[in-house]
Amino acid sequence: MSAEDSELRPESSRPNSRDVDSGRSGFNTTSPSERYYTPPPERKELHYKLTMTLMGHKKAVTMVKFSPDGKKIASCSSDATIKIWDVEAARYEHTLEGHLAGISTIAWAPDSTMIASGSDDKSIRLWNARTGRAHPYPCLGHHNYVYSIAFSPKGNMIVSGSYDEAVFLWDVRAARPMRTLPAHSDPVSGVDFVRDGTLIVSCSSDGLIRLWDTATGQCLRTLIHEDNAPVTSVRFSPNGKYVLAWALDNSIRLWNYVEGRCMKTYTGHKNEKFSLGGSFGVYGPRDNRSAFVASGDEDGAVWLWDVGSKVMLQKIEKAHEGVVFSVDTYSGPECDMIVSGGDDNAVRVWVQKETEPNTMDSDGARPAKEAEHVPDGTADGVDGDAVNGDVEMVDASGPQ
Amino acid sequence: MNASLIDPALLAQDCPEALTGSLRSGHSTCIRFSHRGDLLASGRFDGTVVLFDLETNGLARKLRGHTAQIQSLSWSSDDRYLLSSSQDCKAILWDLKDGSRVRTVRFEAPVFIADLHPKNHLLFVAALFEEQPVLVDISTPDPVKQVLTSAPHRSQIERDNQTEKQAAQDAKQTTTVIIFSASGAHIIAGTNKGWVNIIDPNTCQNLYSVRLTTGVVILIRLTASGKDMVVNSSDRIIRTIPLRNLSSPELDFHNFKLEVEHKFQDLVNRLSWNCISFSSTGEYLAASTWMNHDIYVWERGHGSLVKILEGPKEELSIIDWHPHRPAVAAVGVDTGRVYMWSILTPQRWSALAPDFVEIEENLEYIEREDEFDIQPPEELHKRRLDLEDEEVDVLTIEPMKNEHEPGQFLMPVLLDVQNSDSEDDIVAVGTGQFRRKTPGQEWLDDSQVPGSGDEARRQTNGASSSAQPGPKRKR
Repeated sequence: MSAEDSELRPESSRPNSRDVDSGRSGFNTTSPSERYYTPPPERKELHYKLTMTLMGHKKAVTMVKFSPDGKKIASCSSDATIKIWDVEAARYEHTLEGHLAGISTIAWAPDSTMIASGSDDKSIRLWNARTGRAHPYPCLGHHNYVYSIAFSPKGNMIVSGSYDEAVFLWDVRAARPMRTLPAHSDPVSGVDFVRDGTLIVSCSSDGLIRLWDTATGQCLRTLIHEDNAPVTSVRFSPNGKYVLAWALDNSIRLWNYVEGRCMKTYTGHKNEKFSLGGSFGVYGPRDNRSAFVASGDEDGAVWLWDVGSKVMLQKIEKAHEGVVFSVDTYSGPECDMIVSGGDDNAVRVWVQKETEPNTMDSDGARPAKEAEHVPDGTADGVDGDAVNGDVEMVDASGPQ
Repeated sequence: MNASLIDPALLAQDCPEALTGSLRSGHSTCIRFSHRGDLLASGRFDGTVVLFDLETNGLARKLRGHTAQIQSLSWSSDDRYLLSSSQDCKAILWDLKDGSRVRTVRFEAPVFIADLHPKNHLLFVAALFEEQPVLVDISTPDPVKQVLTSAPHRSQIERDNQTEKQAAQDAKQTTTVIIFSASGAHIIAGTNKGWVNIIDPNTCQNLYSVRLTTGVVILIRLTASGKDMVVNSSDRIIRTIPLRNLSSPELDFHNFKLEVEHKFQDLVNRLSWNCISFSSTGEYLAASTWMNHDIYVWERGHGSLVKILEGPKEELSIIDWHPHRPAVAAVGVDTGRVYMWSILTPQRWSALAPDFVEIEENLEYIEREDEFDIQPPEELHKRRLDLEDEEVDVLTIEPMKNEHEPGQFLMPVLLDVQNSDSEDDIVAVGTGQFRRKTPGQEWLDDSQVPGSGDEARRQTNGASSSAQPGPKRKR
């Protein structure tokens, strides 16, 4: 999907969804009740730094994903290719070519051996991530652009959402549709599997979020926000108890789907036109981790919010030129990473170090003063031009 | 994780109610659910063992090695290994990680049933056709077989008074069914003269015997907990027997007694039973019937018939109850299809819109005090955000029953399972439309083994067919 294609209808007819927070910076949105919120003792600020810029895509990067084992990054683009990058070696590995139109979505199989991709050519393809070869049978069945896909936790099923307003469940082994759900009345913009595979969530630009029983294909719950803004992306929380939904009213909402209530709204970023995607991440001490929400925005920044307090933990300004379409996180044994992909055809990797001495970025300024940092939006790492500094450039645009 | 959203009435149902689907790959003769219940192993008439993924209802793996009808299937406790036994006088232990054979054990006679030790997948018992049963240790590449006895255990007095004829009869008995107890500390065997023997696997001594019937013992099965046993015999009576004290350490076989709890039979039609299975909790008992299309389900507490599941228009043979869901699978004798009975889950329409409620009768709607108040949108928005002060935990994972845990064995997903099988070359392309499947190039690389490990080995050794480039056509 090209950047232009991925633009969803702006809901200009809704004044109340518009004025919300566009003028505010992340920290002024703190509501009165949050004064009573006692923040956990660990630091409430993050310092992700750029370590790699991965160049090679010829058009906008629509989605970036860490493999579940954290060793690879896959990126897909509206130039109809997928590229696989080795994170540790900072090396370009494969370009997966075969789709006939832009690719909007990719998903890693849980064992990190396979990638599935959904494209504007209406097909879903499976790729061997190690050899870079395509599975001979594409998954055919959708009548319009495939916009979102997710693997089941066992890797035996794929769920896909499409512009044809349906959600398909695919048998991965046979590459054929198992079940088709007439899910929405507008393009299905996001789908996800819960961690035990028994639930599917789907969202659509009709503003609805629906939960489905994987085994029976029945709708179990519908979530709708009063403003009814188009929902462009949806994900289950790591424990599967909440769903996080991106809406085109500059908001990301965390829903308790059992009670059907919106629990948290993350705001500050700009998201009115494009379908952005993000992820949950973790920070804090290893034995007591806290969660954050990571997302891009339409002004080129990457935002990280604390899940509980809704406080902005970091805003990476000018992460990309133009829209940051996709952000993904990975928490490894040594360092935590974020990858972002944007309209400037670049994929960027950001690292937050756990322990200071063994260094991947030689920028030694950070550790000493980090404790005193006040999240006022001016400290370095918060708004510094992160693209500068000691970073690696990996270019795959050569003759591949 | 869907339990919190499902109608509690549906969750409370524990007995299947209707035929909900069928699975087919070749002519199935034997089925068994895996312990986690995500896979169903099916042994076929042609000797192939196939695994169905019950989430996709598709084939997950094919295991080729037997040349005759599969007689029994037994899963290891971690669902990684599968023991199959066949009329071709072999028992094979399969490793489902790569589909290879761990061991192949040959016998002198066709195998009735082979059952893996519940804790040690390198030990199994087998009952053979017109031979004495064997305990087989396959921890070394050369299997060690120990012959067990079928003769009933006699006390000293009985032995002293035994006539020659009786002794000869005892010696002539053969075992028709043999299984391990749930702890693996005992072997339970049934003979062709209606005796049930309890054998010590360490000494291979028969510890206790009881004659339940004059007919042949056809099948013995246990509940998941191993506290109850059910015996099907040719006298058309199903007997349930509590085994409660079998696992206790101070078990004394001098005072031990197996007592029949319930006898299930159809006195009117004199039906005989093909196969029996306990429900997951042992609360229910299901039986397929000879020359009849129905499955009978009894409730064990009261010993009453609670349901007759109507089946397809064919006799059903092997039956198995899902390890934790209200679902039953059974094999059709004529078609070899595997039929599934489960509960029906109607769509709740209120789930489709959050402001819909399912009500029994009409209610008068009472509007909220401020329902039609006009408020400035900023005000509303601010108030909404202010309400979001609850703590949320998106990370803590609550362990759940029957869930796959990290570290547990998970069978790899193979993408070309259906290739190279004559029958499955036909694929449905639409309603009533079929076409022959186009063979594709070898997609998987060598580290991922197609079909079964043996095949791959044969391919690499022979290096004949697999070396050819381009598409392969099977027929």
